[in-house]
Amino acid sequence: MTAVTVAPVRSVRGGDFAAGARAMVPWLAGVAPFGLVIGVSAAQADIPTLAGWLTGPTIYAGSSQVAAIEMLDAGSAPVVVVITALVINLRLILYSGAIATHWRGTPRWWRAMAAYLLVDPSFVVGIDRYQRPGDRNDAHTFYLGGAITLWITWLLALGAGATLGAQLPAALHLELVIPLYLVGEIVPKLADRAARRAILTAVVVAVVAVSAPLHLGVVLAIIAGLGAALTVKEGQR
Amino acid sequence: MSVWLTILVAGLGSYLFRISMVVLADRMTMPEKLERASTYVAPAAFAALAAGGIAANTAGLDVGGWIPPLAAVVVAVIAVRRTGRPYAALLAGMPALWVLTAVVPA
Repeated sequence: MTAVTVAPVRSVRGGDFAAGARAMVPWLAGVAPFGLVIGVSAAQADIPTLAGWLTGPTIYAGSSQVAAIEMLDAGSAPVVVVITALVINLRLILYSGAIATHWRGTPRWWRAMAAYLLVDPSFVVGIDRYQRPGDRNDAHTFYLGGAITLWITWLLALGAGATLGAQLPAALHLELVIPLYLVGEIVPKLADRAARRAILTAVVVAVVAVSAPLHLGVVLAIIAGLGAALTVKEGQR
Repeated sequence: MSVWLTILVAGLGSYLFRISMVVLADRMTMPEKLERASTYVAPAAFAALAAGGIAANTAGLDVGGWIPPLAAVVVAVIAVRRTGRPYAALLAGMPALWVLTAVVPA
């Protein structure tokens, strides 16, 4: 019998998969209306509605999809559309780097699939689970539970928006579900000095750069936050 | 380049971003400083997305428009600190937002 060098990813772990899906629920309330809106804009844009919907399974990142649909509708040059969409998605490289260490030892096909599902909500839900102690394989299943739930919901919301033109219940202010959810995740991390510096710096830069062109504010804020965290010497709390 | 091809290329580029560091992490050892920095991507990204989201939603509004979301954030922070549970931010913050939006004149 040959030695197995690749950690197995067990597929039947219903409990962890369901737990990941449950952890994604707060995000769904926020992203589903966003998906509906993008679907509606795809239906109204001067491009085939199916092409607008296709931004979901291909680009799979809301702000970038909005930019692509609006610019194609406005008749922007394809190269400019692609560059803009990719600049908005630069943060995915940071997410990839942060989660890569947790995926070491998994089969290539698994990483290829897991990376495809990587976007803000799946990163947040996944990295939070990976940073907790416990079986790494359980965490992989947890990640997939959340990420696949998000993917299905996102594509359904885009499709519903594109076909039905559904209206948002604006009075519920669901656009603030995600920011408040993130506040809940941030507060416990304030106890660590370097994390605190990263958070406060990122907040300031994100607010100042909210009108930055090409949606660069978020990526600038993350980089500034990282720089601030690294000014704290290791071991200092 | 057609609309379809433009979307496919943007999608392929996005996928390469997603897989980039996952592939590279196997072929090279990340510098110690980068490895350490990666542990702070999550708090920095959470903070950037939260602050950016709130700022985008309140940009251009008058005082009556930005008081409810900011007060909801304060309520959420207090709720999490008191209970030690992240989900308390939503359970306390959203009702606070609804009440304040109804009470504070726009």
